[in-house]
Amino acid sequence: MNVIFSVLFFGASVLFLARNADAYLPALLTGAQKAASVSLSLLASYCIWLGFFRVMEQSGLSEKLARTAEPLCRRLFRTDDREAVKLAAGNLSANLLGLPGAPTPLGIRATERFCAAGNGYGAAMLFVLNATSLQLLPSTVLALRAAAGSSSPADILPATLLSTLLSTLLGMIGVRLFCKRR
Amino acid sequence: MNFSLLLPLLFLLLFGYALAKKVRLYDCFTEGVKGAAPLVLSVFPYLCGILILSELFTQSGLAALFTRAAAPLLRAFSIPEELAPLVLMKPFSGSGSTALLSELLAAYGADSEIGRCACVLYGSSETVFYISAVYYANVRGRIPAAPVVISLAANFLAASVGCLLCKVI
Repeated sequence: MNVIFSVLFFGASVLFLARNADAYLPALLTGAQKAASVSLSLLASYCIWLGFFRVMEQSGLSEKLARTAEPLCRRLFRTDDREAVKLAAGNLSANLLGLPGAPTPLGIRATERFCAAGNGYGAAMLFVLNATSLQLLPSTVLALRAAAGSSSPADILPATLLSTLLSTLLGMIGVRLFCKRR
Repeated sequence: MNFSLLLPLLFLLLFGYALAKKVRLYDCFTEGVKGAAPLVLSVFPYLCGILILSELFTQSGLAALFTRAAAPLLRAFSIPEELAPLVLMKPFSGSGSTALLSELLAAYGADSEIGRCACVLYGSSETVFYISAVYYANVRGRIPAAPVVISLAANFLAASVGCLLCKVI
């Protein structure tokens, strides 16, 4: 990340210097402003979902979910940590359902737990599953296509589903091949 | 099936179940919300870094240069070169690539081949850099490179196959 950041930051800054240096500070500020406004909307959705998950936790439902998902998660993330399995299973199911904003808080905590236990493999697997899109129903795409006047917005679903399955599969194979196991 | 029913049903089912298990709903829900502000605060610096970078990247014209350089590579993988900005934007920013997708759909038509490929590409990939910044925010040490590279490669290959599928299905 440090390398990517340095290279892109340098390249972009040099281009600004050569073309229009006046636009440099406004561009930086726009970025920071976006971070501020995105954070506010993240805060709003975390409030809803963290409340939701706390209720799920207290009612014993996440324990049940974790128990069902445990054999799978144990193999997938190579962990015996019940708490981490609970978080990861919640993250994956929220992803599959496409609940907007819901997977993130669980994913952050699961990654923390994996890494604290020295299980970089589990964290990498969870990250790749999230970063290759697990969503079964791409609601944004369908809405945008309908808005743009498509005759049948849903006809890209088979291709999207197949290619998102493929990306997830390729990602899992990649992690198995290239990330160190414990 | 109407998917907008999913959310209210989900909440009703959970809260009904919780009540049956004698959970004090108000106390419990608010206790969960307590965690929201610290979580956002801990993620904020990394979010800020990524979003400033992506702003510089697009506004400096560096993205346009990359786009031109990437066109032959995309053609080799059967992805229409008009989609180059989307391919580059998606790993950084969700809102940015949503805006690009709606522009592409408006310019080429939702049912055109380019429009369809754009939708498949958008739907099958994720904001890799953004997620890496957020998920690894509270982990000490640097973000490991392997999972990021693996995700980018997997998304790219799947996009290539997805665009081929668009021609068939």
